[in-house]
Amino acid sequence: MIEAVERLVRLLEGENVEWEVFYQFGRSGSFAIERETLERSQRKFYSGIGLRIGLKGRLGFSYITGLHPSGNELENLVKRTLKLARISEVPFRGFPEKEKTPLVKGLYDRRIDEIPFEEAHSMALEYAELMSEKKKNETISGSLSLAVGTSGIVNSNGIELEERSTYMGVSAYAVISDPPGTGSYRQSFTSLQNFGELERAVESAIGDARLSAEAKKLEPFTGELVLEPEAVSSLLDVFLGNLYGDEVYHGRSRFSRPGEEIGSFTLVDDSTLEGFPGSYSFDGEGTPGQRAVLVEEGVIKSFLLDYTYASFLEMKSTGNALRSFRSVPYIGTSNVILEPGEESLEDYEGIVVKRVFGEHTANPVSGDFSLTVELGYVVRNGELRPFKDNMLVGNVFELLKTLKPGRKARRISSFLSPRVLVEGRLV
Amino acid sequence: MPCGEVMEWLVKKAEELARKHGVDYYEIRLVKVTSRKLIMTNGQLRELSSNSELGIGARAFNGAWGFSSANDRERFEKAIETAMKIAKLSRGNARIYLGDPVRDEVELGVKKPFTEIDIEEKLSLVKEIDKLLKGEKIVSRSVNYGDSIVETLYFNSLGSEVRTVVPRIRLGFSVTAKENGEMQSFWKSFGGTLGWELVEGIDLHHWTSHVKAKARELLSAGSPPSGEMEVIADPELTGVLIHEALGHAVEADSVKNGDSILAGKLGEEIAVEGLTVVDDPTLPGKFGSYPYDDEGIKAKRVEIIRDGVLVSYLNDRETAEYFDIEPNGHARAESYNHQPLVRMSNTYVEPGDWSFEEILGEVRHGLYMLGDKGGEVDTANGTFTFGAKIGYIVENGEIRETVRDVALSGKILDVLRNIRAIGNDTRVEFPGYCGKGQWVPVDDGGPHILTRALVGGLR
Repeated sequence: MIEAVERLVRLLEGENVEWEVFYQFGRSGSFAIERETLERSQRKFYSGIGLRIGLKGRLGFSYITGLHPSGNELENLVKRTLKLARISEVPFRGFPEKEKTPLVKGLYDRRIDEIPFEEAHSMALEYAELMSEKKKNETISGSLSLAVGTSGIVNSNGIELEERSTYMGVSAYAVISDPPGTGSYRQSFTSLQNFGELERAVESAIGDARLSAEAKKLEPFTGELVLEPEAVSSLLDVFLGNLYGDEVYHGRSRFSRPGEEIGSFTLVDDSTLEGFPGSYSFDGEGTPGQRAVLVEEGVIKSFLLDYTYASFLEMKSTGNALRSFRSVPYIGTSNVILEPGEESLEDYEGIVVKRVFGEHTANPVSGDFSLTVELGYVVRNGELRPFKDNMLVGNVFELLKTLKPGRKARRISSFLSPRVLVEGRLV
Repeated sequence: MPCGEVMEWLVKKAEELARKHGVDYYEIRLVKVTSRKLIMTNGQLRELSSNSELGIGARAFNGAWGFSSANDRERFEKAIETAMKIAKLSRGNARIYLGDPVRDEVELGVKKPFTEIDIEEKLSLVKEIDKLLKGEKIVSRSVNYGDSIVETLYFNSLGSEVRTVVPRIRLGFSVTAKENGEMQSFWKSFGGTLGWELVEGIDLHHWTSHVKAKARELLSAGSPPSGEMEVIADPELTGVLIHEALGHAVEADSVKNGDSILAGKLGEEIAVEGLTVVDDPTLPGKFGSYPYDDEGIKAKRVEIIRDGVLVSYLNDRETAEYFDIEPNGHARAESYNHQPLVRMSNTYVEPGDWSFEEILGEVRHGLYMLGDKGGEVDTANGTFTFGAKIGYIVENGEIRETVRDVALSGKILDVLRNIRAIGNDTRVEFPGYCGKGQWVPVDDGGPHILTRALVGGLR
């Protein structure tokens, strides 16, 4: 426990209240490359302490930034949070109890923590150079980021946990101006990656940009098509809002209890996967990370829950309380996994949609979506004919009923999914 | 230590460090944010918070930018030094607009400061709205109130010192209606760089009834047809259309990076005659307004398109120099721990001379789409998507049945050229947040317009 938190805990132990202290500190270095030139480099430091106090069934929350508060500042934090607990009317359902918390492996890489900034900067320069070497008529941009952060939680039920994790993010973006085409690549890791990953990023972005420049709009089509993991991610985003415990509790989900059959696939939220960027050993309230089966062979098994909404719904927290010191816990996903199935889709011949955009314009409760196709391709006899600018339209609940997962999963940051077969419509 | 004293100390420190590291240009923002937030869902308070924080964002330039930020006072000095070290390491060959030093102090004034309203009164407001939102078929209701004061002390190596104080207030509410397994939502947001007078000026009975009625109306609405067709956009939808279809593509950083289809098109006629589009951060009281941008440049009204001709890009210090155009103060950062990017403020279409009835009369078979459900654009491909909250079929100039919320898509250059009518009823009162890796408050709007777009309906 850091010194400021120890002092805060001592203050809180003198009050007759339930309390929880959540703290974070860390730093990040990131590099923005524009037109194959390293243009913006930055190194940020952050730290802060968030305090929740439960008093007579009500909750107060407040935070301070920095880890070097004066005695006065700490006393004021406690006073302010107590005052908010008195007037707030936000219901307080208790804090989690201490449980066995196995450590998730592969979340920390000393090489990222200890890399000198100058070395990271050279890596970014090499990345920019790689872009110059690989490009033909494309303009290439991208970014590289490295971060290390520590989160800790202490509460009046005896929870005292701290975890340090590292992060590396890589992105590349290629543009062709005439005829216009774009391609992008985005991936993240918990460990330092070698040059091969940067090459993959640039090549993948260039490959997609070349396809995109050739792409034309397709004639309207209704029928069987394949979605790449990128497009699956966008569509699941529209659906997943319905599985958030707070949305369920407040009547803004299609579902009010588990058990409904919605298709034949299996969808999991798993924060215990080794080396996955969405993983953690405990969530923002100190509940151990876990594998939560949301949909099992098409039947809804669980919702995404934190301690509070689990209590409202008389269920058990799935360890999905996300958090920053600036906020009270909120429900979110860790790593989302669409389990592979039986379909052999690697050599699928027909229409394949890779990337769509505009999912935040969709309606999660009605399920209606109309998304613009950024890139797709028609595969005939092994040859690719790219298309774009159509809209993929439909209702997500109808679409999921027809979803059949392929065999081989691919990871995109904290999302893991195979290609899937669906009945869809392009206009 | 009060902000002013911290600032004096930082100015001195920065000078020393710049000498030590041989840095020519640097700029530092010391930002204090005080904010209050209340969220209530179904009568249950989910959040009531009142917070304040102080942080620093430091940038140094040496042909490329070095940036560092910190929110622990013990690290403020280190952040400045880090930014300078990074800049030295970077040695790029870009240039930036410098200009003369500016010393100024601007507080955006309000009639009735929300800081003088007790949190208890704000809670009563939220409760009152929650009650008003109850009704037949309404299964969920939510009210969201927030206000903030952002005090920024900006200084740079040229000797500029600018202090700005920007108050911002917002209020939004939504309902979800349900019947026979169908569910639909509707919502309304208000916001501005205003005080409590914003809240007092809202006819709560009218707007809560409106939101409920529209959610219920959507329950029995069918999906619109699909395909390319004539679309009348209401002022709110015109706002999001112009924000997505034009605004992002004229952000000069995108243009410079080869990421905009409007690169090299200054002076060209890219839209119909009669179309004038403006981005104006100086509009009093609007949600996207600010007096100085986050590079200490005075905010200016920019005509982007004048009578169909592309006349300007939105810029920052770097792109103003790059394109050799006058800086117009559009560098905005989400907070002290973000680097400024070129962003919009309040973006709108100037009124034309068509009345709504005349526009309607032009449409034989099309859609009248209303409201903003957000949008997204691929500026390099020139394709954008934008969502409407509700719509109506239009047949022979008459409004027929309701259709559901739906997204539309278009090509930037086609949609701007296909505008057939520009209404005379411009309104800029649709506050929201725009995302570009960072979120900033914006407003947009315009009159009713008639254009063509690809409608992603299910029929």
